[in-house]
Amino acid sequence: MRLTRRRLLGSAAAGALAAAGIYELVDQLAGSPQRSAAAGLTPEQHLLDGLAVVVDSDVEVTVPPLHHEVVTATLRTGTGAAALQEAQAELEQALRGLDERYEATPAGLGVTVAWGLPYFRRHVAAQAARHLPFDTRASATAGKRVWALESAVRFPSDPPDTILEKNDVAVLLRSDSLDAIADGSEALFEELDGMFRVTSVRRGFVGGGFDGSRSLPKRMAMAAGVPGADLIPDAAELFLGFTSTQKAALGPPRIANFETLGYVDLRGSRYFEHGTHMHVSHLFENLEAWYLNFDHRERVDTTFRPGLDVPVDTLTVPQDPDDVQTTADVSADYRATRRIGHSGSIQPSSRLAETVRGPDGTVYAKGTAIPQRADFNTLDNPFFWTANKQRDGYAREPAAGLHFVTFNPSSDDFRRNRLAMDGVLPDGTVLPFEPRSRGQGFNAVLQTTHRQNFLVPPRAHRSFPLAELRA
Amino acid sequence: MRYVVLVAILAVAASGCGGEERQTASAPRETAAVASCPKAWKAGWQRLANDVGSLVYCPTWMPPEVDAKIDGRFRNGRWVDDDKSYLVSFLWLDQDAGVSREVHVNFRGYPGRTTIPTCESTHSVEGKTIRKPIPCFSDPQPKKRRLGDVTATVYTANQGIDEWHVLYAWKRNGSLYTVSEHVVSPYAYSQVIQNLDRMTRGLVALEPNA
Repeated sequence: MRLTRRRLLGSAAAGALAAAGIYELVDQLAGSPQRSAAAGLTPEQHLLDGLAVVVDSDVEVTVPPLHHEVVTATLRTGTGAAALQEAQAELEQALRGLDERYEATPAGLGVTVAWGLPYFRRHVAAQAARHLPFDTRASATAGKRVWALESAVRFPSDPPDTILEKNDVAVLLRSDSLDAIADGSEALFEELDGMFRVTSVRRGFVGGGFDGSRSLPKRMAMAAGVPGADLIPDAAELFLGFTSTQKAALGPPRIANFETLGYVDLRGSRYFEHGTHMHVSHLFENLEAWYLNFDHRERVDTTFRPGLDVPVDTLTVPQDPDDVQTTADVSADYRATRRIGHSGSIQPSSRLAETVRGPDGTVYAKGTAIPQRADFNTLDNPFFWTANKQRDGYAREPAAGLHFVTFNPSSDDFRRNRLAMDGVLPDGTVLPFEPRSRGQGFNAVLQTTHRQNFLVPPRAHRSFPLAELRA
Repeated sequence: MRYVVLVAILAVAASGCGGEERQTASAPRETAAVASCPKAWKAGWQRLANDVGSLVYCPTWMPPEVDAKIDGRFRNGRWVDDDKSYLVSFLWLDQDAGVSREVHVNFRGYPGRTTIPTCESTHSVEGKTIRKPIPCFSDPQPKKRRLGDVTATVYTANQGIDEWHVLYAWKRNGSLYTVSEHVVSPYAYSQVIQNLDRMTRGLVALEPNA
């Protein structure tokens, strides 16, 4: 008897992928935003077309998809070239089937397939050695060639037990429709016969009450009864209150591509052109600590920048290039107040220091954001489903948290941004915060549980990248 | 094994919830709502009114686990400052295998003033303590709560012994009064709001004896 994918998965993982759990409420609590149609498939997997933009408090805000899911897995395929190439063809066929059924928009389904270092090292090691892009800045610092994809690290404000994961692959599914995500998940993880061993399923939502209604995170947190839910502002896009998807705070299309800013050396090959890097982490958010222990003044100071004037009922704050802080600004704030803002501290590394013209002729002005964030709130604890409950510290009770997903040009670029959040600035200045000091705001109420870096190949090589080059 | 402990410390005013000195307490009990200051509690509250020379509010109901007998077993402290402002604190603490449960209620009065008092925020950087004056009660919620004769403003970010508490504040005859309760197991935020509503609705004004 042939061993089917469903049998291999077992009822637990298959059941988890099929079940919506508490997230089914998202469909009941939120109508789908108006979306425009896609212009066609881009060479990039990580870009979504048709994102709506609304104006809130005179600030343009991108409206992300309502539902998000990340499925991580290791490979069950053989390690031989033939087995790998067969799997490559099967997965690509399944992905094309989804491309045909859904536009790559929130109204359809966005599918991003990303690959971890374990895949490149175990399955295509020789090809990776020849083709994986290098990070130019990290290589210069290290005095040796450093890949654009590196292992994730723990940061100063991470707990010592933050798990650095070793998945082969992660698939990010984004849509306004829970059914579309379930369909995508089934097509990739249930119908492909024995290809993957699912290690985790992570789910969540995002969606502001920009029309004045009660927002999705507020409603979901209240429905789940997580501590501090009552304290979330009614219109909050995310549990921590402030809007985070200001259009100017998200990188424009293609800026995070390997080839755009010159941070990455493609080694004379176009194989990974239109690809990028993805960081995935999970963190718990202590909402009671944020709202009962930090007053509005301190929340503004440590979310944006010390002393910024933000009215109490304003949740969307401008993050335009003119609002960007420099390293000197952040250091001066620290000297004066012993505080830094979350977004302000990251800006010296996350925003362009100079105007850049991309290889396609697009001009990215000084102060433009580089990371393309795709983070979403969750009630997972820490995951919706995990193959290793003990290691991951799984619990059934819902917990307020965030699955942080971001596209940067490289692991090193993400690392620079994340270090700045801990007061380690791009010019080498180290602001001597105690780990998770309240002077860092967010960091005092966040607890990171898991991290991993992935490489997102261009659409043309999204399935088992480099496998076709194996003899 | 379950321990039920009481905490009574003077330093708690500066450090927030918590304490050092422990006494064994008897089983908790709920007090019934009554129209006047309960007999068992009245003497202490009347003495407080006399000491501050101004009206004080005696509760007629307290959340289960504590009562409001100022000299009773849940006393966490009674302080009267030179300006006659006062703080009366009640605390029940239960530690079971490392899991804490706590009921902590504070009553304050500021005779002759209605301004929000000033506290100090402190945090340590490189071994230095950074101090900054901040309001003791912050983040007033937009909707006030009308409870009996009291119209209270709800503050959710508070300092000192009221840190991590929800605090109701109201004014009467040129004075400021507050009651706050810690948001901590066994009482989540919504239950604390219910408790504060019931406590505030049942408050009885006591004038100082002539």
